[in-house]
Amino acid sequence: MDKAKTNDKYSRRQKIISLTPIIGLVLLLALYVVIGLIKDINFKAGFEAIVNQSVILAIVATGAIFIFTLGSFDISLGASTLVSACAGGLIYNATGSVWLMLVACVAVSLIASLISSVLGSIFNLPVFVTTVAMMSVLSAISEMLITGKGGNQIRITGLSGLENIWLKLIVLAIFSALCVFVFEFTKIGRRQKALGGNPVCAKLTGISVKKYAILAFVMAGIGIGLGGFLTAIRASTITSGTAGDIGMNIFIAIVFGGMPISGGPRSRIYAAIIGSFSIKILSQILTMLLAAVPGANGIAQMVRAVFFLAMVYLASINYRTKMLPR
Amino acid sequence: MVSSVKERVRGEVLLTVSDMTKTFGPVTALNNVSMTLRRGDVLGLIGENGSGKSTVSSIIAGMQKADRGEMTFLGEKWDPQSMLDALERGVGMIVQESGTIPGISVAENIFLGELYQFSKFGIVSRKKLNDAANAVLKNIGVENVSGDMPMISLDFQARKLIEIAKVVMKEPEILIVDETTTALSQHGREVLYKIVDRYRSENRAVIFISHDLDEIMEVCDTLTVLRDGNMIRTFEKSEFDPDDIRTSMIGREMQGDYYRSDFVPSWDEDVALNVDNVVVTGHVNGVSLEVHRGEILGIGGLSHCGMHTLGKTMFGAVAPDGGKVTLSDGTEVKNEFVAMKNMLGYVSKDRDNESLILSASVKDNIAIAGMEKYAVNNFLILDGREKKYVDEQIDGLSIKCSSRDQAVQTLSGGNKQKVVFGKWVGRGSEILILDCPTRGVDIGVKQAMYQLMVKLKSEGKSIIMISEELPELMGMSDRLIIMKDGKVTKEFLRSSELSDAEIIKYMI
Amino acid sequence: MKSLKKIASLVLALAFVAIAVFALASCGEAKKVKIGVIVADATGSEALSFRNYYKEYIEKNYNVEFLYSDALTDAEAEKAAIENFITSGCKAIISLASADRPAQIEQCEKAGVYYAVASGVLNDEEYAKYKSYKYYVGAIGPSLDVEYQTGYEMAKAQIAQGKTKFAIYGAGVGYRIDMHVQRTAGMLAALCEDDTTTYGGVSIPGAIIGSLYTDGEVSLSKFQSSKYELVGYHALWNFGDATWQANLASVVAADPEVILCAGTGLSVFGQAVSGTSVKICDIDSFTSDYATAMQNGTVTYLAGKYASSIGPIFAAVLDAVNGHAVKTEAGEALALGQSYWVATSHAQFEKFQSADSVSNPIFNKTLLDTVIGDNVSYTTFKTFVETDRTPE
Repeated sequence: MDKAKTNDKYSRRQKIISLTPIIGLVLLLALYVVIGLIKDINFKAGFEAIVNQSVILAIVATGAIFIFTLGSFDISLGASTLVSACAGGLIYNATGSVWLMLVACVAVSLIASLISSVLGSIFNLPVFVTTVAMMSVLSAISEMLITGKGGNQIRITGLSGLENIWLKLIVLAIFSALCVFVFEFTKIGRRQKALGGNPVCAKLTGISVKKYAILAFVMAGIGIGLGGFLTAIRASTITSGTAGDIGMNIFIAIVFGGMPISGGPRSRIYAAIIGSFSIKILSQILTMLLAAVPGANGIAQMVRAVFFLAMVYLASINYRTKMLPR
Repeated sequence: MVSSVKERVRGEVLLTVSDMTKTFGPVTALNNVSMTLRRGDVLGLIGENGSGKSTVSSIIAGMQKADRGEMTFLGEKWDPQSMLDALERGVGMIVQESGTIPGISVAENIFLGELYQFSKFGIVSRKKLNDAANAVLKNIGVENVSGDMPMISLDFQARKLIEIAKVVMKEPEILIVDETTTALSQHGREVLYKIVDRYRSENRAVIFISHDLDEIMEVCDTLTVLRDGNMIRTFEKSEFDPDDIRTSMIGREMQGDYYRSDFVPSWDEDVALNVDNVVVTGHVNGVSLEVHRGEILGIGGLSHCGMHTLGKTMFGAVAPDGGKVTLSDGTEVKNEFVAMKNMLGYVSKDRDNESLILSASVKDNIAIAGMEKYAVNNFLILDGREKKYVDEQIDGLSIKCSSRDQAVQTLSGGNKQKVVFGKWVGRGSEILILDCPTRGVDIGVKQAMYQLMVKLKSEGKSIIMISEELPELMGMSDRLIIMKDGKVTKEFLRSSELSDAEIIKYMI
Repeated sequence: MKSLKKIASLVLALAFVAIAVFALASCGEAKKVKIGVIVADATGSEALSFRNYYKEYIEKNYNVEFLYSDALTDAEAEKAAIENFITSGCKAIISLASADRPAQIEQCEKAGVYYAVASGVLNDEEYAKYKSYKYYVGAIGPSLDVEYQTGYEMAKAQIAQGKTKFAIYGAGVGYRIDMHVQRTAGMLAALCEDDTTTYGGVSIPGAIIGSLYTDGEVSLSKFQSSKYELVGYHALWNFGDATWQANLASVVAADPEVILCAGTGLSVFGQAVSGTSVKICDIDSFTSDYATAMQNGTVTYLAGKYASSIGPIFAAVLDAVNGHAVKTEAGEALALGQSYWVATSHAQFEKFQSADSVSNPIFNKTLLDTVIGDNVSYTTFKTFVETDRTPE
């Protein structure tokens, strides 16, 4: 009977497909280098730019993987990052302590995340719904923080020394190590994936939906806090537009990284990092090619959209099964 | 065309299938299958999961196309373009999956796509539509459903009956019944059997597909066994013998007993689980019972007698409106978490939706319930330990999979169920609540399940088996509780003297 | 299914090939000096006219290439855009985006890329800090004094015409954007020259500016006068906000003779005043939208920038890139003021427009070449910028 062989092929194909995002990242990087050589770009500046622009996204997205794994969605990620950055900036301006600033950033985003998830569990709402409300609240709070002392911005001075790629990479390394540990090596991660895969089954296996939704938001909250911290350092001037595109970019990034949109057992932490770097490298490539072309931004957006759909399609192959009637 | 049939001569060839082959990627679902269907035939197709019985019938009914092979129907080449096309031309199939639309009425479902018949100037006459639907339903013997009822108000069985009505209304020459009875209770089955009888007497033909060997032997005149896409053997009614048929289905002699060999009820004195006057409004109406260690307690009844809800309540998944479920030490099973902690296990009737994470691997599904067995400090999960734990279950239950990383959704029904068992047995569940544990499972796996239950019983575990199939309840239970309308109507002790008729009396 | 997968792979592969081919095709051009332009607005008419001047005129006449950013809305985006330009090998950045100028200057200084502010200036404190930075070229644009003066003269012109019933649109006063505060203060100060008129009980320009920064708005109740009426005040650009829209409508409904606008007045009030007798006085730029509005009488007064007004900063940047940066006598970065052109009739507007077209701008090659070279003195450059070039 050749059924076993067939299934082996199936698993092999699954493995190949699951490697696609990494292959994609490598290809994009190769393309970047080739075009960079042709265009004679400044590679040192280029790689720094990629790291600078990817890391904050990667950190917030890595934390958000926990939410996406549950098959849920947090629309307030961007707003939460902004509030966190505002809080950090104000604390730093008041105290001059980077550590207090870090604590403020993480504390604020954790509180925001907890409110979303706890409200969701109290009122038995999908957490997505509470994050929609949370987004408005957070936007209002950030507006208050930003305009609170007059002006339309929070200016943080004296932190430019911290604005370097190494701090970002270290924070990313530590946080992603924590996430990988929780996600792959503890009961928490297993249960998160099970919940995302089939909440009914998970419940009938004694797993509390609410408890793990809250835990997911805690992990995401830490990521947002670290992202807000780095955003405050990087931007040094925080306005209501700061971190504005992060919410949607996270979604695109994790899909680029090979995360199934529906979450579940095939969720991968590294999807966030691979995806974040992939879309930023793609952006760099498009910038190189299109910067001098009229209508460049429109073209770049379309190219990004095509890549996005292609990735969603490739990812979805992974989860479609052939109809095998009994 | 159907209307062109003037005279139906018994024994006339209706349909031929020759050398049909169908592959799904590298899997050969059908391998050179040939068969002939004559007027007046009621042909049973039987085989384990993946044997090809649904594939062949779905090709005949126009649901998909064969890769190779010819078909003729009424002497002409048969190549239906769709199920609808096939039905219009005389071959109708009642499918496994539910094909009704919940948001509209029963009558609209029955006449879906044909509402123009009842409309004037674009306005559908409700009355005409409902009257027509009622006539169709009455014709097949369904009387408690009327055309104006919203589909969504019907239960699973009634929806299945609507599907049957939709197909039979067209009076196809060949009716294909694919695993339909699994969803039906006694009444529904009788409706279907009457239709089959009518088809036989009108010299039409029926292809009947079922897992249930007893049923298929009862209903069919001939029986064709398929295995791995090949036709193995065709039995005439006079040759029907359960053991022979099973042997040809699984391709080897059955080893050991099928059900329990003894007829002596036995259990330890210790009560493992106590159900005290449990009420779940609309489902369970004051049930009290005790389950002992080393006991297999069977719970039977019609599908809506409340036993499935009772099963969930015992696991803490449904909070009772009255009464309580307690363990030997008095702990109340308030929720699934408490149940898990106290080593209860629950296998749902709805395996795909409630007991498995289909997109996850065999490993993930088995491992998720047994983490306290292999996690370091009940927290840290190490790959090696997890794999070892999972492999033990895969080996112990002989789960057929290419690797522990294979997605569960690609497994056969029987192997899926083994994974569910692995999940609960592996963690050492002391009390197992099994709701329809052998539903949609082929004979080989069924036997393995029964043998496992006997083994667990001998280890002093408690098993509550909720089932709609009387033979397995009678074959396995130490005590058999029959429920009706949410209440216990009778308790039987294990005995060789038990008869279906006696038991059914308390069910209906 | 299988074929779909093939198609998807094919599309992806084609996309890669297309990008590679595109890259190859676009190489081989002669080495040009790349200059990155960061913009806060990519689609407004002023932004487009600036862009046209650089892309259509300067690029054709000089060996330079301008790379444009997306519309940047915050400091982080500005930073990323500058990073991208540095990667692309830009030798200089010209900034038309102001979310965080200090950060932009620091970033460019660190990367060794020249930086210049177009169409604006640094405030005194910022200039003091950055004037000696090696890569800070300077800023050329209307100074804050010019901004104040422009608002003042706009109001004065209306008073001279006998107008007494006003409304004010403060634009970015709510965000305390310097130029809008200065312009608005100028308007109020002009009104306060009348003896019976005060704002917040005073009529001193410095006090008015101070109270605008403090309040972030013009308060109608602070305006006291027996000669003039101030019947409405509006600010910001919250087009999606119902309250904001309602206030906009009420300002028009109060029927002022003119609305004195500190900027973008036409795009905010254009629709609302059509069909009424309310006129708009605005500070913006000489673009086709305003041509139409002046022709049909909606706008009666426009103080505006013109497309090639960003020519001098280009000259300064090119000098710097060529190693001959123009510095003040003290060796500091440029900080030069440009004034607005004022049109009060459509005929005048047309004259201005034809005097500064993409094919024949005010700051054309001949004129720019007088300050591009290895020996341009500060005085020459200063005169070059500050000469009044208003078409006669």
